[in-house]
Amino acid sequence: MRESSGSAAAYHLGRHLPFALSLAGGLALWELVGRESSPAFLVPFSTTMERLWELLVGGTLVAETLDSAGLFATGFLLSVVVGIAAGLVLARVQVLRVALEPYIMILYATPMVALIPFILSLMGFGFIPKVLVVFLFGVFPVLYNTVEGARSIKPEMLEVARSFRSGERALWRDVMLPYTLPFAMTGIRLAIGRCLVGMVAAEFFLSSNGLGQLIMSASQNFDTGGLFAAITVICLIGVGLMRLGFALESRFAHWRK
Amino acid sequence: MVDSTMPVDPAAAVGKNARAGDALVARLIAGAVILCGWEIVVRLSAPAFVAKPSTIAMAIPRVLVDPAFLASAAATLAGVVEGLAIALVVGTIIGLAIGRSRLVDVTLRLYVNIFYALPMLVVVPLFALWFGYTGAARLVTVVFASVFSIIVNVADGARAVPQEYVEVARSFRAAPLRSLFDVVLPASTPYLLAGLRLAAGRALIGAVVAEFITAVSGIGYFILYNSRTYHESEAFVGVLVLAGFGVGFDSLVGWCTRRFLPWYRRDRGA
Repeated sequence: MRESSGSAAAYHLGRHLPFALSLAGGLALWELVGRESSPAFLVPFSTTMERLWELLVGGTLVAETLDSAGLFATGFLLSVVVGIAAGLVLARVQVLRVALEPYIMILYATPMVALIPFILSLMGFGFIPKVLVVFLFGVFPVLYNTVEGARSIKPEMLEVARSFRSGERALWRDVMLPYTLPFAMTGIRLAIGRCLVGMVAAEFFLSSNGLGQLIMSASQNFDTGGLFAAITVICLIGVGLMRLGFALESRFAHWRK
Repeated sequence: MVDSTMPVDPAAAVGKNARAGDALVARLIAGAVILCGWEIVVRLSAPAFVAKPSTIAMAIPRVLVDPAFLASAAATLAGVVEGLAIALVVGTIIGLAIGRSRLVDVTLRLYVNIFYALPMLVVVPLFALWFGYTGAARLVTVVFASVFSIIVNVADGARAVPQEYVEVARSFRAAPLRSLFDVVLPASTPYLLAGLRLAAGRALIGAVVAEFITAVSGIGYFILYNSRTYHESEAFVGVLVLAGFGVGFDSLVGWCTRRFLPWYRRDRGA
């Protein structure tokens, strides 16, 4: 591919320069188009950054981001713990798995946002219903992939472990978990993205606070600069979380043969 | 998945049939338990307006013949299908370009990744601002929600096309565009369908969120309106129809994979 005589610095430059150029080009385009259009519809990049700075200095941005982060973390952790635990149980108890599979598939395919009005009327405005929304968005990919992973264990493995008189506990520790975890990681990566969507949805449609509220109030006040600033922040968070998810997944991927 | 290692002999086949029957019984029992549990919990502890299986079942025939509901369902379905069609065409073209051209890849990859990672519903207020509180905002949301998963998957597929295919096309002096559409595109179809499957789910969510925010008539708005006016059972029928759309798209794509790409599943199973 590449001449090996190039130094490491040149290699990194060659690797990252095109993307830096592409980013600069995109931002320049945003700036130009933004200056030409009505500020009610589109503000240039510079104005967005000014507004972002104002929000940052005023402390609103940090407070709302922390608020959102708490919601995201609670719902996400809950969906991971419940998803993996339920997935392992389903994988081990075949009757349950066979019986519940179609219902899980249906729930996985249902757009969860549609349940938000019911959660609202049942549980009202508060932290718990919002956590429930984030949880519902995230739990099914984890559950589904954990079950898939546990199913990929060859029956012979379990039989060998049995023949060596492995107890149920050793069986879980040495066979079930190591085989299932890499698959569960794929589910966790998917859940990160979906929980982020759930977080914003909960903040849009249940009690408003956090970054979702920032977006909603900016759009209602025709504060286009604030709207773009908030979207930019969520964009950065989304990209960061996605990278984290892929890193997690590939960290465990070599277990998968 | 069926384990392919199983020997094919009549006795095993009989065992299989018996197992399929058992599975059906187990599923029916599980379904009955879930429905009864739901009914009992709601009857004992929740106000009368809360949706429970018995009232939902009674609402189903009423809602399904309601012309207002049918119009809403048709509007949402049309918006989703139209948006998916646009996303499919645009996403395939951009995805092929990214997968086969280094220049396009370097220029666009960053933006595709950013927008793919962005939770799509944050842009719905912006689209409402740009396109008004109309069906156009829903259409744009659906396209935005679904196009990036198609781009990402088609680009992966186009990259994974065996080099020999492209070389053979070139030795037969196929024009680059022809080899793109006659060789690369068919070879990356499995990826395209996988992307479409993801895209369909995201498109449905996008349509519902757009209807929640812009109050454009559709199933999403039907659910919101009915649940706000204490017609939860009617609203829940809307959720069931949405879930039906979700499962329907999923099985349609799965059917297409089996029908048109039988080699794909066989390869993967081996």
